[in-house]
Amino acid sequence: MPLNWTWEWDPFREFERLQEELDRLFEWVSPFRTIRGEEVYPRINVGETPEEVLVYIFAPGVDPKSVELSLEGNLLSISGERRAEEPLGVEEVKPERFVRQERFSGKFSRVLSLPESVDPEQVQAEYRNGLIVVRIGKKAERRARKIEVKTS
Amino acid sequence: MAERKDLAPREEKREVAARRRARVMVPPVDIYETDEGLILLADMPGVSRETLEVKVEDNVLHLRGEIAETPGEEVRPEYVEVRGKEYYRAFTLGPEFDQDRIEATLNQGVLRLFIPKLESEKPKRIEIKVAG
Repeated sequence: MPLNWTWEWDPFREFERLQEELDRLFEWVSPFRTIRGEEVYPRINVGETPEEVLVYIFAPGVDPKSVELSLEGNLLSISGERRAEEPLGVEEVKPERFVRQERFSGKFSRVLSLPESVDPEQVQAEYRNGLIVVRIGKKAERRARKIEVKTS
Repeated sequence: MAERKDLAPREEKREVAARRRARVMVPPVDIYETDEGLILLADMPGVSRETLEVKVEDNVLHLRGEIAETPGEEVRPEYVEVRGKEYYRAFTLGPEFDQDRIEATLNQGVLRLFIPKLESEKPKRIEIKVAG
């Protein structure tokens, strides 16, 4: 099965090359971190078909009820909070007992500019395996709308 | 002509190496120690129970996962922060852990492992007798 997460086709080869050069310059920067060493959360991919725009939000371990998603014109905003230590299942979390702490914790907020053609009237969002998939139909119209995140 | 023959495979190799490097992602982890053992949390968004593999081999804990649902071929990428669909990370386990009793759960892209300490390694409470 050909898989798109690898984004191997031509238009992206150039991006990949640039990415490699950047990687070489900043070798200590893993793709998970910004230059300051913080993790970007959530990370986002955007894809497009002739009929719709697809937004993939990589938000593991977040309570979908705490996630605020909205689309205003072609600007998609996502905000919420993730308590990284919650899945530990420990009654009282003692900071000195962390051997390693890399996962993002706290409030997050990101705004994304989508193609102008998105129609805020046709939006669906689903949360599965820690991935929020937002599907937005295409049409030239601009109206703000709140989107509910469903768990499946 | 011989030169050209020589060039082509080299180019291919470079591309394959670049792709392989772009593909495998290192999941961020938290490791927390309790009296009973270690709790390891790893962010692996997109991974399902079926595409997750956790194993211990020669004292090395291997975490491997694949994004279960990826977009179809009809989806054209517009903006990409996550490239690749495979996660991998490995940790060496010390002799104080019980490798046969590791518990793993996966919930909304977060893998939780509990790695228990061997009974003999758990901290023991020492009773202090008051000399009277």
